[in-house]
Amino acid sequence: MIPSLRAPWRWRPRTLRSHLVLILGVGLLVAHALSFALLFGERMQATRSMMLRNLYEDVPVSVALLEHLPADQRSAWVNRLERRTYRYLLRPARAGTPLATDRARQVTGLIDDALGHAYVLRPRAVSSMPERYEVELTLRDGRPLTIEVTPAPMPVARWLPWVLAAQIVLLLACVGFAVRLATRPLAQLAAAAGRMDPAGQGAPLPQRGPSEVAQAAQALNLLQTRVAAHVAERTQILAAISHDLQTPITRLRLRVETMEASPEQDKLIGDIDHISQLVREGLDYARGASVRLGPPVRLDLTAFLESVVADYQDEGKAVQIVDRTDVVQQGHPQVLRRILQNLIDNALAYAGAVETRLRIDTTGRTCIDVLDRGPGIPPDQLDAVLKPFHRLEASRGRSTGGTGLGLAIALQLTQAMGGTLRLSNREGGGLQATLSLDDDLQADVQR
Amino acid sequence: MSHTDHILVVDDDRDIRQMVGDYLRRNGMRVSLAADGREMRATLDTSDVDLIVLDVMMPGEDGLSLCRNLRAGKHRAVPVVLLTARDDETDRIIGLEMGADDYVTKPFSSRELLARINAVIRRARMLPPNLQVSEASRWIRFGDWRLDTTARHLLDADGTVYALSGAEFRLLRVFIDHPQRVLSRDQLLNLTQGRDAEAFDRSIDLLVSRLRQRLGDGAREQTYIKTVRSEGYVFSQPVVLVGDGA
Repeated sequence: MIPSLRAPWRWRPRTLRSHLVLILGVGLLVAHALSFALLFGERMQATRSMMLRNLYEDVPVSVALLEHLPADQRSAWVNRLERRTYRYLLRPARAGTPLATDRARQVTGLIDDALGHAYVLRPRAVSSMPERYEVELTLRDGRPLTIEVTPAPMPVARWLPWVLAAQIVLLLACVGFAVRLATRPLAQLAAAAGRMDPAGQGAPLPQRGPSEVAQAAQALNLLQTRVAAHVAERTQILAAISHDLQTPITRLRLRVETMEASPEQDKLIGDIDHISQLVREGLDYARGASVRLGPPVRLDLTAFLESVVADYQDEGKAVQIVDRTDVVQQGHPQVLRRILQNLIDNALAYAGAVETRLRIDTTGRTCIDVLDRGPGIPPDQLDAVLKPFHRLEASRGRSTGGTGLGLAIALQLTQAMGGTLRLSNREGGGLQATLSLDDDLQADVQR
Repeated sequence: MSHTDHILVVDDDRDIRQMVGDYLRRNGMRVSLAADGREMRATLDTSDVDLIVLDVMMPGEDGLSLCRNLRAGKHRAVPVVLLTARDDETDRIIGLEMGADDYVTKPFSSRELLARINAVIRRARMLPPNLQVSEASRWIRFGDWRLDTTARHLLDADGTVYALSGAEFRLLRVFIDHPQRVLSRDQLLNLTQGRDAEAFDRSIDLLVSRLRQRLGDGAREQTYIKTVRSEGYVFSQPVVLVGDGA
């Protein structure tokens, strides 16, 4: 077929739109071309048989007429005998080759038949482009007569190509319109579905458009309702468990405190604190999927980071800001604080000292880094530690008293807020957690 | 002073209420116990109470609505410390909006609760607020700033949010509660103590300078917090309560 099909195929249609355009467009063009080819074939057939019939009726009359005319008057008549595809010449045929086509032989045979085999015909092809052949015979007075045949189809009307082109344009426009009609509601549905909120807080999808798309939207809405109900139920169950556990844990804790002070008591209190932390963070994690952000506020991130760090410093923790830039940006301070606290708590647990950094990265996004010089995380586990209850087996996982949920909650809240959280190992040892805020909360750098 | 603080502990769990009561009694307080809102009101009607410890999660009338009703009734002046079941921003904000003075998260240690109780009583007694700020309003305006007392941050004229650390907020709160009044370093230290008794508190001077920096007070010219030589500090701006977020 087309050579380019064999060659490495660069452009592959991926979208439904290009598929449809390709299939409909190519199909219509081929069908169009085919019907015109048939039309022209038929027309040529008709012209040809008309020519042959004319020839058959015309040649004997013309030859008889020329036979009857005196030789000096013939030249005045031959012009009148001329037809569209053949004419009479009062000279011998030009040099040429034997007839090459069946059609030429058929025509010669027809002339022979028409003349009642009364003459010896000497046909030869004199030109192939355009096809032309000459049939020479000798009139009874010994003079030569040549019938020059130039088969040609009926000329095409001027307007026909324009009509053809207009038809093709019309067809392609219809294809484009139909494809648009089919794919646009789909694209809108996809965009709306992308904005859907699993917790069911967002608006439902509009059930408009073609019935297929409306059905899909309806199905998605139903799915969302179910997911939201599921999430709500899960949160409710966890909240109930959490609440029901808080009371006995509180009793336990108060009871242990009435015991005589001893190392055993300290250990018991430590265990109780761990249990209650687990209960609390488990609930946080379960709730994270449906966290209510509320409207964002214009937030001075520099002041924000300073306040978070100051709280740690006031508790005597080694947390510092090593680099800052002035950024005012839309944000959710409560959620952001929680994320940062989880990152800083994690770093404190493993390294004891933490550095923070507020910066704009090369793509213009606002980033907050939490840096430590702890043992870091094996590269193949960097993603896994963001999953809930993931524990590292090596030194980093032991005796820190964490619940394994802090980073998972941080990640969950980051995603809910619109941002990314990335962990990486630092050069020279330690971990870097980078919180990047989404661009749609566009930063405007002050001063 | 032979006054013994009278604490009313309201919790639907009998064991918790008794153990808390026992601990407070051992620490020299008079304690009444109540299992629900009805018993709480009965006690309030028959005796003077210095502070109420109120559990949020109770069947029937929960702590938040009890707290709101208290603030609307004749016992509005009695300080309230909430026992919340969750360490949740929303619960804390709602609790403070309902007029609670402080909160302790379950499971708590008795020592932590005692420290909170003492801090709240000290605050209420040492310097009775001349503004009913804590009950009246979420928004307080002074100078170019607005303070959101539940979210605990400052807003400038453009509505840009400037976060405050816990200590900065407590200090600003004390200043705002007592405008145009000279406060000594001791008073400030007492009133702004952190949540943990043994927590490391920076010196008041350092904290004041941090707050000044946040408010935009220069070293020379001080619009908000002025130094009174050898006495302490005074908050020199008039304070306006704002009804809502306007």
